Amino acid sequence: MNLSMLKPGEAGKITSISAIGPLKRRLMDMGVLVGEIVKVEKVAPLGDPIEVTIKNYNLSLRKKEAEGIEVEVVK
Amino acid sequence: MSLELKIQSLKLNEGENPVRKKAIIVAVAGNPNSGKSTLINAIAGTRLQVGNWPGVTVEKKTAVFEYEGRKIKLVDLPGTYSLSPYTQEEIIARDYLVHEKPDVIIDVVDATNLERNLYLTIQLLELGIPVVIALNIYDEAMKKGYKIDIKAMEKMLGVRVIPTIATKKSGLKELLKAITEIVDNPAIHIPKRLHYEEDFELAAASVESYIKTTYPHLAEKYPLRWFSFKLLEGDQHVLQEINLSENETFIKDIREHLKRSHGDDIESLMADERYAQASGLTHEVLKKPETRKIEMTEKIDRIVLNRFFGIPIFLAAMWLVFKLTFDVSGPFADWLDAMITGPFKRWAETILGFIHAPEWTVSLATDGIIAGVGFVIVFVPVIFAMMFFITFLEGSGYMARAAFVMDRLMHAIGLHGKSFIPMLLGFGCNVPAIYATRVLENPRDKALTALLIPLMSCGARLPVYVVFVGAFFPHNAGTVIWSLYVMGISLAILMGVIFKKTLFKGEAPVFIMELPPYRMPYFRSLMIHTWEKGKHFLIKAGTYILAVSIIVWFLLNLPWGVENKRDSYLGKMGQVIAPVLEPLGFGKWEAASSLVAGLIAKEIVVGTMGEIYVPKLEDKKEEKPSLTEDLKEIGTSLVSAAKDSIANIFSTFGIASLSSEESPEMKEERESLRNVIRKQFTPLTAYAFMSFVLLYMPCVVAAIALRQEFGTWKWYGIAFVYQMALAWIVAFMIYQGGKIIGLG
Ligand SMILES: Nc1nc2c(ncn2[C@@H]2O[C@H](COP(=O)(O)OP(=O)(O)OP(=O)(O)O)[C@@H](O)[C@H]2O)c(=O)[nH]1
Ligand SMILES: [Mg+2]
Repeated sequence: MNLSMLKPGEAGKITSISAIGPLKRRLMDMGVLVGEIVKVEKVAPLGDPIEVTIKNYNLSLRKKEAEGIEVEVVK
Repeated sequence: MSLELKIQSLKLNEGENPVRKKAIIVAVAGNPNSGKSTLINAIAGTRLQVGNWPGVTVEKKTAVFEYEGRKIKLVDLPGTYSLSPYTQEEIIARDYLVHEKPDVIIDVVDATNLERNLYLTIQLLELGIPVVIALNIYDEAMKKGYKIDIKAMEKMLGVRVIPTIATKKSGLKELLKAITEIVDNPAIHIPKRLHYEEDFELAAASVESYIKTTYPHLAEKYPLRWFSFKLLEGDQHVLQEINLSENETFIKDIREHLKRSHGDDIESLMADERYAQASGLTHEVLKKPETRKIEMTEKIDRIVLNRFFGIPIFLAAMWLVFKLTFDVSGPFADWLDAMITGPFKRWAETILGFIHAPEWTVSLATDGIIAGVGFVIVFVPVIFAMMFFITFLEGSGYMARAAFVMDRLMHAIGLHGKSFIPMLLGFGCNVPAIYATRVLENPRDKALTALLIPLMSCGARLPVYVVFVGAFFPHNAGTVIWSLYVMGISLAILMGVIFKKTLFKGEAPVFIMELPPYRMPYFRSLMIHTWEKGKHFLIKAGTYILAVSIIVWFLLNLPWGVENKRDSYLGKMGQVIAPVLEPLGFGKWEAASSLVAGLIAKEIVVGTMGEIYVPKLEDKKEEKPSLTEDLKEIGTSLVSAAKDSIANIFSTFGIASLSSEESPEMKEERESLRNVIRKQFTPLTAYAFMSFVLLYMPCVVAAIALRQEFGTWKWYGIAFVYQMALAWIVAFMIYQGGKIIGLG
């Protein structure tokens, strides 16, 4: 299960990040870390990108980037 | 330690004028949108200076002022989430901090988002430079019911923490006082060494001691603790800088050792470590209310980013921005234009006539220099207006939403969601549009957007269409003009895809963007920023444009006294170029010369054609108004320009600048031009010619904007070449294709 599969309103706990290099570093700097809870808030009107909340702020990323973030659904 | 610091601060000021007081250098660092610029504006006001960081196009703002008899220099660093070396902003910020070694860092922390902000703070502390935290946006944190234990925070971080509300100027005195205290007594203000996990500390310590003994010059050059961690992380930027390889034994050994016990990715581990610290600190000092209110930002976003309303709202907002930018500035631009070509020119003529200046100098002064100055000045209102609205969109938080809504579409042609706004402004005028590319952070996105902007048919091309369409397609005028706009957009999409696969191959920028809370931008900041940008344009771009305008004057009027424009240098250039245009259907020197003159601005194509084709009407006997009449006229027309500008905000139809009224003479002139054009062109060649005007080279002002935004002529060069090629190919296909299907 990866982040791009969650629907708006669903939340997940990050289990791994498969991105590498600058992308991974960028995600980490933005607080996207293993163990963190992410909640999907919205999908953009045209279907991409998505908006999530993490560490108490709102972040948007493209689905392609979200695919590299594995999550397990939390209630 | 204290001695070391003093020596450091002495070194810092080397090179400065020794007579003048040495300034205390204070770097202002922090996350994007934490309020750095607002804070600097609040402290320094109009003493702010805007420039660029050397070699890059990221804005650099500095302000020098006196405080209690000391000179303080504030440097606004680009907003960053981290000091990693991946974005241009991050590199600038860290290079400045590491190499310029400011005396103090003000770390602007957004109090409503402590954890992520403290992640940067923790990295700043590694530098060993005294830090003061401005706990900004404190008002909003209070409103949310956050309780932040400032004392505990100071104790845990070992730095001063001052709550501030930059927009209300509160906390600024305390902040400045803290700075002076630190400068007076740096020894007691050394930030705490936060302790990371033992293994990392041990590793860092061994790197530190190794460096001290083996590379003493590096130990002097870099903040040691920070430097050691960077080596452990395998930071490419630092390694390159010091010419060491990751495989250097001493680095490799320690990294291997860490990897064995902690896993492969040391960089991520360090990020984890730092975030763990940040989150631990946050838990200690921040108390949030149990129940969370639904916030304003959430409510607004439910509508603004709604599946169905999102796009209509976005389009409406864009329409408003476009309209405000061009319609509000339009009347002022027209007013300035009228003033310069009217009274101002007359006065110059009078003065020159008075001193019996030769005729050619009068012409040079009025048609060359004053017209050139006028050319620069009429751009000022629109640049000001654009900067104002763009800064507003950014400061309010809507820019990020615009990007969010549009990204899917723009991404398809290799652009970023934020590219949409500059592209849209391009339909009004390419020049502010190119300046507006600064909203894009990534240099690749920026360059690609700027390259495509000239394909957006700007307002200056419209007069050309109007003349030709009136002559050849009076019954389908709207459709024909529309088709040209669509052609520009389609070609932009095509070129976007081509550039993505060629010029920008392999670079796939990411889209990981914060959606900041909506905030009301601080009006004074907006004004200061707008003013600085406008001034910059006036001085920098002004000189170039003036030069080009004088050159064109020479081309048109030399050799002095040419009767027939054919014999002027411009005419001669036209004759040389004409054969190249032959396969496009308009290989005549008149057309070619007009196109050359269009380098200044595309609308000049029409003016030049007028001069060439239509024999000069007898110089109308102008009764020269007196000076007082002139002055009165300037005043009243300014008032009416202001009125028009305000009326335009409320008027809902069309774009005012397109429907500006014309005097009967202008209409007449245009009719006579059309009559000549009907003889020289056919509908097919006219359409080919209009397409050519749409596509060929960006005008000189756009060229200068490109140069200014990117710091090199490279992108103008590329734009020039590809557009010329595109224009030629498209016009060729239209003309030859049209001939084949029997339109010629
Ligand atoms: N309520 C409130 N708003 C603030 C405060 N300080 C800044 N703002 C607002 O926050 C927004 C961002 O401020 P800026 O000064 O542009 O932030 P910045 O740190 O310079 O941002 P970047 O240049 O993008 O890194 C603006 O709309 C400001 O008006 C504050 O203390 N309280
Ligand atoms: Mg700023």
